[in-house]
Amino acid sequence: MTMSHPLNAARPTRRSILKSAALGSAAALAAPYVKSTYAAGSLSIGVWDHWVPGANNALTKLCNEWGAKNNCEVKIDYITSQGEKDKLTAAAEAQAGTGHDIMSHRDWNIRIHQSNLEPVDDVISQLIKQYGPISPVAEYLAKFKGSWRGVPTTVGSQVKPCCSRFDLYQQHAGIDLRAMFPADESKWDKANTDKWTWDAYVESAQKLFKAGFPVGLPMGQTSDAVDWVGALFNAYGVVMVDAKDNIKINSDETRQAMEVARKIMEVSPPEVYAWDDAGNNRWLISGKGSGIMNPPSAWAVAKRDNPTVAQNCWTHPTPKGPKGRFVGQLPQFYGIWQFSKNKQAAKDLLLYISQKDAVAQLVAASYGYDLPSFKSMYDLDTWKTVEPPIGTVYGYPPRGDEQTSMAGAPARAEVGAQIYNQAINTVMISKFTQGHEKLDDVIKWAENELEGTLRA
Amino acid sequence: MTSAALSAPAKRRLGARSSLRRNRRWALITSYVFLVIFAIFFLIPPYYMIVTAFKSDAEVAHMATNPWIIADGITLDQFRILLTQTDFLTFFKNTVIVTLCVVAITMVVSVLAAFSLGRMKFWGSSVLATGIFLTYLVPDTLLFIPLFQIVKAVGLLNSYWGMVLVYPTLTVPFCTWIMIGYFQSIPKELDEAALIDGASHMQMLTKIFIPVALPGIIAAMIFAFTVSWAAFVYPMAFLYSADQQVLTVGTVTSLIRADVYKWGMLMAGALLAAAPPLVIYAFLMDYYIAGLTAGATKG
Amino acid sequence: MADAVQTWLPGLQISARRSASRGLKQFLRHRSTIAFLMCLPLMIIIAALVIYPAFYSIYLSMLNKAQTRLVGLGNFTFLLSRDVFWMVVQQTAIFALTAVFFKALIGLVTAHLINNLPARGQRKWRGMLLVPWVIPLALSSLAWWWLFDPTHSAFNWIITGLGFHEIPWLSDPYWARFSVILVNVWYGAPFFLIMYLAALKSVPEQLYEAAAIDGANAWQKFRHITLPMMRNIIAITVLFSLIVTFANFDIVQIMTAGGPRNMTHVFATYAFMLGIRSGDLPLGAATSLFMFPILGIAAIFILRGVRKRGREIG
Repeated sequence: MTMSHPLNAARPTRRSILKSAALGSAAALAAPYVKSTYAAGSLSIGVWDHWVPGANNALTKLCNEWGAKNNCEVKIDYITSQGEKDKLTAAAEAQAGTGHDIMSHRDWNIRIHQSNLEPVDDVISQLIKQYGPISPVAEYLAKFKGSWRGVPTTVGSQVKPCCSRFDLYQQHAGIDLRAMFPADESKWDKANTDKWTWDAYVESAQKLFKAGFPVGLPMGQTSDAVDWVGALFNAYGVVMVDAKDNIKINSDETRQAMEVARKIMEVSPPEVYAWDDAGNNRWLISGKGSGIMNPPSAWAVAKRDNPTVAQNCWTHPTPKGPKGRFVGQLPQFYGIWQFSKNKQAAKDLLLYISQKDAVAQLVAASYGYDLPSFKSMYDLDTWKTVEPPIGTVYGYPPRGDEQTSMAGAPARAEVGAQIYNQAINTVMISKFTQGHEKLDDVIKWAENELEGTLRA
Repeated sequence: MTSAALSAPAKRRLGARSSLRRNRRWALITSYVFLVIFAIFFLIPPYYMIVTAFKSDAEVAHMATNPWIIADGITLDQFRILLTQTDFLTFFKNTVIVTLCVVAITMVVSVLAAFSLGRMKFWGSSVLATGIFLTYLVPDTLLFIPLFQIVKAVGLLNSYWGMVLVYPTLTVPFCTWIMIGYFQSIPKELDEAALIDGASHMQMLTKIFIPVALPGIIAAMIFAFTVSWAAFVYPMAFLYSADQQVLTVGTVTSLIRADVYKWGMLMAGALLAAAPPLVIYAFLMDYYIAGLTAGATKG
Repeated sequence: MADAVQTWLPGLQISARRSASRGLKQFLRHRSTIAFLMCLPLMIIIAALVIYPAFYSIYLSMLNKAQTRLVGLGNFTFLLSRDVFWMVVQQTAIFALTAVFFKALIGLVTAHLINNLPARGQRKWRGMLLVPWVIPLALSSLAWWWLFDPTHSAFNWIITGLGFHEIPWLSDPYWARFSVILVNVWYGAPFFLIMYLAALKSVPEQLYEAAAIDGANAWQKFRHITLPMMRNIIAITVLFSLIVTFANFDIVQIMTAGGPRNMTHVFATYAFMLGIRSGDLPLGAATSLFMFPILGIAAIFILRGVRKRGREIG
């Protein structure tokens, strides 16, 4: 059932989990949710196969616990996102009307399959009652005609803030990132953090490039690239298509943001155009790079393969632009297919693994990679205690004035999904910087492409 | 070659013979030079796979040393972990089962069809003989969505038996085509004689044609084996449980966490996955070539 | 296998035997019935698993994105109006034609070289040159990708070691096009090699001897004996390879996934991006279907030539 992985490296400290209350309390907290009876039987789940070694085991354990309590056999298939196998499986299951009861969906996939997914408003309202508001990005991606079609996961949900080599930044760019963003939000000085702007980012990137340690921001057509460019565009107020289908890409904001991107690309290694989601990780791990924008998985692998790099990594908020500080967020969701025969049990299980105690275990097992969509859960111990160095991933959950963003928003989700998945924003920058096309031509090309996404 | 020289006058004959021999030696040397160049091109990736498979993770990750040699000592760790801590052996077993079944089904279907199309003919058979080749015009990347419903309808979703159902679409047309050519190359007198002796068509096929066409059958079998061993799109779409997965997709999906490519183990897996076809080709290659011969020229 | 066949058709055997003793007309009718029945498994497989799904795909390609209503040829006309689609058409043509040309060329050259060797050496060389065809493509593509890896390219290690500038194998669109074609040639050339080698073996030795008596040189022998004798097999192999290369998915998806700037997309990967990643299955199906007429026309011409020549030969 589970894929035993050979890389069961040492887990992060688990004291935090042991200290937290036993999971039984979750059921008590969930009282308002009416747990109706259902035939005990079996549930099948298809879940994203985690990149962090060993993280799958935590979910398997939680599901088995729930299954034992509820006399229900839970079968988990971990499906990789490599080659989009998970999306392929979801598309085929939706088309055939058969498959798993619960399937996890990345980025826009809830909206793609919305009409085949069971509303889960009862689960969501219960969770909001317990843990407060959900990230607006998650709401945008999972709510269809006022009704939630997916429950935000902990597993695999992520944001992409800066993960930088603080030693190199200090030495070559004169910026002390640990002093700017210490591992305690109350010590953040607004006057100081406000200096961390995209202009400052460009300036430091130029210095680091001269010193032989360029930053590595991907410019391919996969999510790591699309997400950081989305955050940059939002920071400058770029709107590609608005919620009413107006194409707004031809703007001064676009030109400004494209200029910033050009400056960054000038001091980037040329191979960024070919990077997939692993390219920037390898760049950081190899020791050649001074900074990337990524979840802590790069750091986690460095810890195993190149510990000196890991010891000098610091995850911290993204730079700020004229319209604010944005970080790309990529939540995942559990969707219950309408053809599922055991929907009530499915909802029950989802509620169980969304409780904070369960979340704490998942977060710990992923070294803090997994980021729940409830801000109230950002105080979990893992982000404070993971090392080396202590506090290295404290800045991973959005803190301070950092807001989450999604490339393609605020367009209608059907439109946004295409903007995102066809990577129109990174192709624009590639045409401009690598293809040396005129900015006006690039914008004209983008207008034409965006028009294509509006097709009824 | 000598026969040409023999008819010439004696003087010219001596000179011609030595220049012929010299030409021939040069031709041979040139052949070897080019073959070596091609062999290098063809064998670079397998060589790199072997080198990587015997390296330690740390050496692969650092890339500090010459990547083309093993600098930090040979290690069998990749193979050991691959075989003991992953589902690789399950993938291997599933692939063997699927491949054997697909080869068997393919051969029954295509030998029967090829015999009928190549030797017996019926209304529309010549159109069909051409038409089967055109089935390759419909690529698997287009077919997998509708096929999902068919595989589901027969209850074989997420089961390697589903692969046994769909792989023949990849193998049967080409194998049938090879066999048609082979059966056509067998002299007509053979079946006429058999018919006079009162043999039925089935007896003719099993007693006469299959033994005579054995090289062709082996060639078709090897083709079917290669294709179903390496199939990628269908298992990618239809299989998601590790216990049902086959080698190609299983190796790629269980050893790649997009942030973490386990290169050493991936390459170890690829080598082991390539071993059975390599062995088969090594032993049966002469049959393969001989079998393709007739099918090829007559097709 | 033979047993399975015999138990499968016991009744027919009897009827066939009986019929052999009756009139010729009746016999022929039975003969064609048997022939038809022998073909039936093939026809069932093709009808159920290729033709029916293909027609379903055509139906799918005429639906709107949410698959709630028919839009006729809307998806096709939409694609024809897109710049990116035309780039994909162009790139697929470049990819397939270049790759097939070099596969055929390398196959032909290596087959000849091997055929010229003394018989004992042939097996060894044949075996070595066949290796790329034997390794599952999905796995060897990964190995190539690892060789081209932007940060750790082993090729670039040599190139920079020799004092040259490193090559952006996959990050420059034109080099990326070169790289995916290179891998395709590497994988497919051995198939041509073995088909040609088989064909070369079947050319009667007497023909060459006769030509030698007439004083033909190597090129003339090739031009007037080998090539005509091999024309059919070359045509069929090229056709088969053209179809498979046109529809290639694994290599491009694994190595570049269509990037940079969409410039390495071929039909299958572009259809995958539209249909699976962006969730517009009908549009993806429409993209894939564009392959059909293009290849269909090529196939009809090639096969007609083959059949005509087949009749001429005998």
